[in-house]
Amino acid sequence: MLRYLAKRLISMIPVVIAITIVVFGMVKAMPGDPAAMMINPALKEEQRIAAYNAMREKLSLDKPMPVQYVKWVAATVQGDLGWSAMNNRPVKDVILEPLKNTLILNVFVTVFQIAIILPIGVMMAVKRGSFMDRFWQVFSLIGYSMPSFFIGLSLIFLLALKLKWLPPGGMPISAYGKNFAYYVSWLKYLILPTLSLTIISIAGAIRYVRNAMIEALDQDYIRTARSKGLPEKVVIYSHAFRNALIPISTIIIMSVFAMLSGSAITEQVFAWKGIGHTLVLALNNRDYMLVIALNLLSTMLAITANIVADITYGIVDPRIKLE
Amino acid sequence: MENKTVPEPVKESTGAKLGKSFGSMFKRLFIREKDHLSVLEEEALQTPTQTVFKNFVRTRLGVVGVVAFILIMLFSFVGSQLRPIDESYQEPALSNIRPGANYLKYPAQIVKEGVKEISSGISYSVALTNEGNVYAWGKQPIYLSGMSTSVFNFPAGFKQGQIAHIAAGDRFWVALSEDGEFYGLGYNNFKQAELPEEAKEKMQSSSVKQLLAGEGVTGILFEDGEIFIWGSTMSTRQDNVPKEYQGRIVHAEFTSLNVVVLLDDGTIGVFGVSGNELSLIPAELTDGSVEVVAFTTSGRAALALDSTGKLHVWGSRLHDILQIPDFEGKVVDLFGGKNNFGVLLDNGQVIYWGANHFNQLAFPKAMKSANYVSVYSDMFQSYAVAEDGNVTAWGHKGFVFGSDQFGRDNLTRLIHGGRISLTVGAIAMIISVIIALFMGLVSGYFGGWLDNLLMRITDVVISIPFMPLAITLSTIVTGRVPEMYRIYMIMVILGFLNWPGLARLIRAHLLLEREKDFVLAARALGVKQRNIMVRHILPNIFNLVIVNVTLGYANALLMESALSFLGFGVSPPTPSWGNMLDSAQSSTVIQYYWWRWVIPGLAVIFAALSVNLIGDALRDAMDPKASEK
Repeated sequence: MLRYLAKRLISMIPVVIAITIVVFGMVKAMPGDPAAMMINPALKEEQRIAAYNAMREKLSLDKPMPVQYVKWVAATVQGDLGWSAMNNRPVKDVILEPLKNTLILNVFVTVFQIAIILPIGVMMAVKRGSFMDRFWQVFSLIGYSMPSFFIGLSLIFLLALKLKWLPPGGMPISAYGKNFAYYVSWLKYLILPTLSLTIISIAGAIRYVRNAMIEALDQDYIRTARSKGLPEKVVIYSHAFRNALIPISTIIIMSVFAMLSGSAITEQVFAWKGIGHTLVLALNNRDYMLVIALNLLSTMLAITANIVADITYGIVDPRIKLE
Repeated sequence: MENKTVPEPVKESTGAKLGKSFGSMFKRLFIREKDHLSVLEEEALQTPTQTVFKNFVRTRLGVVGVVAFILIMLFSFVGSQLRPIDESYQEPALSNIRPGANYLKYPAQIVKEGVKEISSGISYSVALTNEGNVYAWGKQPIYLSGMSTSVFNFPAGFKQGQIAHIAAGDRFWVALSEDGEFYGLGYNNFKQAELPEEAKEKMQSSSVKQLLAGEGVTGILFEDGEIFIWGSTMSTRQDNVPKEYQGRIVHAEFTSLNVVVLLDDGTIGVFGVSGNELSLIPAELTDGSVEVVAFTTSGRAALALDSTGKLHVWGSRLHDILQIPDFEGKVVDLFGGKNNFGVLLDNGQVIYWGANHFNQLAFPKAMKSANYVSVYSDMFQSYAVAEDGNVTAWGHKGFVFGSDQFGRDNLTRLIHGGRISLTVGAIAMIISVIIALFMGLVSGYFGGWLDNLLMRITDVVISIPFMPLAITLSTIVTGRVPEMYRIYMIMVILGFLNWPGLARLIRAHLLLEREKDFVLAARALGVKQRNIMVRHILPNIFNLVIVNVTLGYANALLMESALSFLGFGVSPPTPSWGNMLDSAQSSTVIQYYWWRWVIPGLAVIFAALSVNLIGDALRDAMDPKASEK
């Protein structure tokens, strides 16, 4: 297992390098002087000039591109992500909060998604052609033909504005301290974005779970299991489902990955202060250093998701490790 | 033997039954299916394309998808030719009006009782009949403030049968009964629909000559020539009546920013916002060289008739309103809409000119023959009363799909937005298919280090989350190109970020096909490598490409709408289905102006759904095994 993991990690290295090159390209493409954007503009005149020159030196802006790239990577690894003009604080201090919010949202959604698609997908495959199968197929078809913001807007309209059960968006203020009531209201704010993202990801994934399960149920070993006289429950859950898990895990990981991207829209709709929402805000405020840091962060999250995916494959399908 | 081959008696739902009967009807109508086939027909061969086509037609949902998609294409592409758009046109007065097209549907009673006066607001009209009754029709403008009421909700104690004056402003109307009772309905956010104490006192001493209402302002002109104006006057100062006019006013009319008055010596006065085109009154109208007998106003211009029958027009030249068309006959009456002027001639004919954004110039055919005695034109609706008392209405019928925050017609923007969204999605898809084909074919065909390199590039693009990168790229790239090229940049960005999935799929299938026996056979026959590739392998992955292009198109439509929704896609005023929704990021819009987000949202869903249906049906038709699942 360790060897397999090491192999996968090594194969990720060129991808990570390529992504840093892309992000570095972004830095160069942004309007303005990168060194000036890296330092606090509120410093006193002489201090600012000194800091600016030091930063130019550190980034080697007068050297050729490859040197600049290496220096930039070095600075980034050291946590020198620049100065966020919008927040008037160093970037590295302001990206942790959105990262936390995005992770919490996505973890909730992933848990709910798995808890819903597995039983329903299996049920659809087992009771092929039944009313419930049809119903979920139609749900899936409409769900993945729907722009994600439309689901969000509809939920706001229905649950927040008409029925007034939940807040329409935003996040609670922690001005009164982080007591029990704060966390309860925090959960209230979390419900709508979670619901919205869960619906989207279920719609996308459920038909694949169904197909994977059908594929597994059509195999010869299922026929053998049935002819042995095993109870149907054992056949479905112990024989078919375990084998369907390999494609299913791919699907779940893919949808988690899609979620990381799609949550930008949902975060914006519900004003959930995650990476996507902060990114839109930073772009609108021309806070380019923050934009770059957030892009870097979201790609790093995606790569982490990829690695988790590889580990999962290794666990679910022991054959992969042997290859 | 196999469990699944035993057909379980599935109870059919009503929906499925309906669908089946509809399907068989469709088949009977369009596809002639014989019940009995001759031996020859049964054994007849058909090409793979024919098989796919037949399979496709057999899947009902696919046909539904094709029909729906054709309808959407007709709606957007033919519709945009039939209904041209002026992207920069705005009419703030008409903002946020509910869907409805009944603005001109007046009640029959007003003909029966005889029209004394008709006055129109932005989306409704009010009529006063000769019997003193008031009728209102049209669409209720949205009112969000608690102080406002419905324009159709006559207050308790409204003295029907005894009303002497009515006047409709933009979103409110006021009425005055014979015994001096004042009523105000609709918007009241500037207290324009309430009678102020000073006016009440003044009414004790002098009788009312004219009641007038404008955009958020109300006025009463008294018989003694004094005028009292109140309402939304903070920025326009329309209530600031010059002292030298008071006591001399014979007739008054509001424009958007001014008040135009006719004085007792036949000259014209203007007050309100100073220094605009309207306050530059032609000299002959103020120095007494001609005597004005009547005048009317539009939103930003005025038209006056002097005692010799000559017309004078001044003000903003927008909408060609200052160009009076040629006509023969004597002018007996003048009337002005928001962006139009009109005259009634002594032969009973109506001449009307100015803007035509809402069909204001589209007269009903019957108008050429009838003889009219009076015409009422306000805002965007006009009503002409004929000699026999019949009323002919023309002008703005209403917004079928409502209007947006700038008063633009949602339907027109939906049509043109569809044209843009469908085109952007299609071109983005074409770009990504070209890249995917190139990447997939080259790496699958050449293999080796090139394959490795291209697949690593694919890995990189696929592992960057789409949305954050897309909006960042959109900001960087569109900031550097002129406005008119931005839309092409969006196509390129969408295209360049969407190819990796398809490229991987093509490569994988290429590798699979390459190992098959027919390739071996071709090689044994001595067919060149390149020809094996182009003539033997490519056609086999063609199906795959077609299906994925279709499904990818639906995805591209959704991506464009999401990007534009966030404000990083097609930039306004060019409409797209996505950017029609971008103002829906406020809860006021979501809750009260639902048509502004539900309708374009449904359009995106409808389009994406129909394309997905086609894609699914194509996949089932090309791979019959898949449909058994």
